[in-house]
Amino acid sequence: MRFKLLLILLVSFYLSKNGIAQNSFGFSGLMNSTNNISSLYGNYEASQINFSQLKDWGFSFIYGPEFSSSVNLNIYSIAVEKRFSNHILSLRYTPGYQKEFNFNTASAIILSDSTRQSLSSKFSYKELFGLGYYFRFSDELQAGFNLRYFSQEFSREIISPVIADTIYLVRENQSEKLGLWKGELGFNYSFSQYFSAGISSINLFSFSEDPFDQELEKFKLKTEKGVMLTFNFSPSRTFGLSGIIESNKSFQIGVNGRITFSNSSVGIGCSVFHDKTQSPFIAGVIPSVNFSTSFLSVSLSGIKYFSDRKDYFSYGDFENNGITNVINNPYSFDKALLTIAFALNTIQEKKVEFADVKIIEDIYPALTENYLNKPFAVATVVNVSDERVNVKPFSRINGLSEELIYSPIISINPGDTATISYFTVIPENYAITKSEISTADFYILTSNEEFDDQIQKPVLVNGVNSWDGDVINLKYFIKKSFDFSISYSKRILSNNKTLFDTLENRLSDFYKTKLIYNSFAEAMVYVSDPRASSEYVQYPEETLKLKGGDCDDLSVCLSSLLESVGVATALVDYQLGELRHVNLLVNTKLSPSEAGLITSNENKYLIRKNNLGNDEIWIPLEATSLKRFEDSWQAGAEKFNKDALENYGLSRGSVQIIDVY
Amino acid sequence: MKSLLIILLIFLPVNAFGQLFKVVKVKGSVQGQVGTSEKWIEIKEGNTLDANTMLSTNDNSSVQLVANDLKFNLRESSAISTSAIKQMSVDELLLALALDDMMQAPKKNNDSDAKNTAVYGTNLNGNNGVFIKSNDFGIKRLNGAVQLAQVGLRESAVATAREIYRKYPEVKGITAYRLFFGQILVDLGLYQEAFEEYKSIQSLKLSTKEKEQVEETLEMLSKKIISEEK
Repeated sequence: MRFKLLLILLVSFYLSKNGIAQNSFGFSGLMNSTNNISSLYGNYEASQINFSQLKDWGFSFIYGPEFSSSVNLNIYSIAVEKRFSNHILSLRYTPGYQKEFNFNTASAIILSDSTRQSLSSKFSYKELFGLGYYFRFSDELQAGFNLRYFSQEFSREIISPVIADTIYLVRENQSEKLGLWKGELGFNYSFSQYFSAGISSINLFSFSEDPFDQELEKFKLKTEKGVMLTFNFSPSRTFGLSGIIESNKSFQIGVNGRITFSNSSVGIGCSVFHDKTQSPFIAGVIPSVNFSTSFLSVSLSGIKYFSDRKDYFSYGDFENNGITNVINNPYSFDKALLTIAFALNTIQEKKVEFADVKIIEDIYPALTENYLNKPFAVATVVNVSDERVNVKPFSRINGLSEELIYSPIISINPGDTATISYFTVIPENYAITKSEISTADFYILTSNEEFDDQIQKPVLVNGVNSWDGDVINLKYFIKKSFDFSISYSKRILSNNKTLFDTLENRLSDFYKTKLIYNSFAEAMVYVSDPRASSEYVQYPEETLKLKGGDCDDLSVCLSSLLESVGVATALVDYQLGELRHVNLLVNTKLSPSEAGLITSNENKYLIRKNNLGNDEIWIPLEATSLKRFEDSWQAGAEKFNKDALENYGLSRGSVQIIDVY
Repeated sequence: MKSLLIILLIFLPVNAFGQLFKVVKVKGSVQGQVGTSEKWIEIKEGNTLDANTMLSTNDNSSVQLVANDLKFNLRESSAISTSAIKQMSVDELLLALALDDMMQAPKKNNDSDAKNTAVYGTNLNGNNGVFIKSNDFGIKRLNGAVQLAQVGLRESAVATAREIYRKYPEVKGITAYRLFFGQILVDLGLYQEAFEEYKSIQSLKLSTKEKEQVEETLEMLSKKIISEEK
C-alpha cells in the first residue's frame, strides 16, 4: 500500500512538465505543520489536509505590513474552523491576498500640442474566500478538500473613434472582471508517531470565465496542474523537520525547535523556499517564532526575498509570464506577519475513560452506612491525557435514588490506570420491599463541567428487608427503628419503676435485660423464615407488630430493645456446617468479682474487656427460647460454652462475636 | 509434699470430653454443680457425673473420680470442672490460647491491676506444684488446674488456668501459679507463648528470687525463639 502510494507520487512528480510557480506557500512557513502545532487554521497553501488538533472551534487572523516603496498594512486573512466529530469545516476570508499591477502600455496618443500620453492598463488579482472540508478516516489517515474563489479584474485604456459631425478619438476605459474557482484534494498518512507524509493536488480543477477580449487570456492566473508531496519528521517533541516538494521542482523545507512547558510551548522555525519562477535558487526565507497554549497560538513571521524587489518592471515580462500565485510571485514584496489563532472549545475534552466497571456487591438498602465505607463497585480508569488529573467519580443507582453520589477524588498520572471505588448512600426513606434488577450509571469527571466518560451497568437492588447473610450487617436492622424500640422498652421499664427505685445501680442493666426479655418473650412466637434462601430479616418494629420471627428477627429485635435503653449487646454468629444460628450476648457491666450477685455458676457468663480494658460480665441469651429469662440465659450459655468455648469455635472461626456498637 | 498427692493414672484417653465420671471415694465435704445449674449438691460415693460438672472440695476433703481407665483425685480446697479432665493435644492448647486472646480483646496491659491474693492462704509452693489453702473459688480452681498438670494433663492445666484467669482476674496476681503454668508452656516447647506469659508476669509484684527467675527464663526464651527463627 505504501509502495503504491510512493509510486504514484513519484510518477506524478516526474510527469509534471509545466513550470508553475510554487503553490505551497504559507505565511508561517512550515512552522505549523510540525509537532501538531495548530498555529494557523485555514492554511490551504501548505496543506490541503489541515486536520489540526482542533477540538471544536478555531479562529485565526493574519495581519502585517508589506514592504514595498511604502509600507502597507494588510489584514491578510480571517479564518474559522469547526469540528464535528471526524469532520472539520473551514471558511477563510482573504482580503489581503491580492496583487495589483498598473502599466503604461506601448500604445500612446499624441495630443494636438504634440505631447505624448501613454495608455494605461491595470490588472488586479484577488483571492476572496475559500471553503475547506477535512475528514479523519483514522488516527493515521486523513483527507482534505478545499475550494477557493479568485477575482481577476483587467482594465485597459483604449482609443475609440467617435463619429459625429466630425470624427474624433476618445480615450475609454475597458474593463473585465473574471471569477476563478480552484479546487484541491490532499491526503496525509502517519507512518509512525515520528513520521508522516502526504500528497496534495495543485490546481486539481479550476473553473474560470473566458474574457470577452481574447487579448486578456494571457493575463489570467496560471492554473497548470501538478502534485505536491509533503513530509514531516519529528523525532522528538522538541525538533521537527518538514518539507514540501512540488511536481514543478519548486520546494520548501523548514526546521523547527520547540520547548514545551507545563501548559504552553515556545517554538522557533525557519523555512527556505525554491520557486521555479523566481531567482536566486533559494528565492527566500521565512523565519518564525511561535508561542502556543492549548487555546492560543501567536506567531511572528517574516518573508524575505533574496532578489531585489522593485516597484516597476517591464510590461513585456509580465505579459509573457503572468502570475500563478497571488501572494508569492516575482513581484511580491517582503512582509512581516502577525498570526493569531485561538481555539474555543465548547466540547469537553476527554481526559480519562473507563476501562471497566465491576459491580462487587448487590445493593441491600437495609445496610445504609455500610456503603459509605464499602464500595459497591470498582472501576478501572485510564488517564488518556498528557497531564496528571484529579478524577471525581460519581454514580447513580436508578430506582434507589435520584441523587448523584460522589466518591473520593483520586489523582492519576498521564497514561496510568487506576482503580476507583464507588460508594453510595441509601435514602433514609427507601421502603421498596421487592428486589429488582436496576441499572447504575457511573461517571468520571476531571473538571467542573461535563463528565469525561460514562458507563451503565446492571445492579441488583434488593428489597428493604433483604440481608446479605453477614451477621455483622444485622446491626443495621437493629438500629433502623430505634425510636420505636425506645418507646417500647421504656414502657416496660416504667411499668417496673418500683423495682428500679430500690435496685442497686450496678444491677440495673441486668434487670433491665431480664424485664425486657420477659416481656418480649411473652409477646413473641418463633416462626422459621419461609424465605430462608433469600435472607429476609424483619425490622424490630415489624417483629413486634407481627409478634414473631425467626432467630435473626428475634435477636435483632431483642438487641434493639436492649440497646435502646443503654444495654450493650453483641450478636453471636454460629456457623455450624450448613446450619447458622444467631443469638445474643448482653453486657451486665458487672465486674467479675460481682458475678455472685447474679449467679453462682461460672458457666453462665463470660468475661470481656471493655474499651478501657476493664473486665465486664456478659451473659449469653437465646432469643428464640421465648421462655423465662433464666431459661433463655441457660440455653444461651450452654450453646456458647459448647460451640464457642469447648469446641474452640471462636478460635476456629465458626463462632463470631459482633458488637452492635 | 509429693506424698500428699494422690497419684493416679494413667492411661489417658485422647479426649475425655463427653464421658461420664464415677465418684469412687469421697472424703469430707465435696460439692458439685452440674452444667449451668445454680444449685450446688453434695457429692457422694457412687454418684455418676457428666462432663460438665464443677467439683469443689473444702478443707480436709477430697474426691476420687474414675472414667474408663482414668482416675483423678481432687485434693482439699480445690475445684475443677470434669470437662477439664482430659488429654489435650498441643494444637488444642494453641486453639485454647487463641480463644483466650480473643476473649481478652481489646487487649490492654492490665496485669498490674490484678492484686496479689497470696494473703488468702498459705503458699505451699514447691518444685512439683503450688497449693494455696483458701476458700476463694478462683484459688480453688487454680489448685484444681495444678493437680491436672501433676497428673500429666499439662495442656489441659494451662487451658484451664487461662479460663480461670479470665473469670477470676484477681487471682492473676498470684505469681506462684503464674510461674507454675508459665513453666509448663516452656516445658511444652511453646516458647513464644511462654515468653509472652513471662513478660506479663514480669509486670507483677515479684520477690527478688522470682524476679531473677523470670529474667533468666525470659533470656533463655529469647535465645530459643531467635534460634528457632534461624
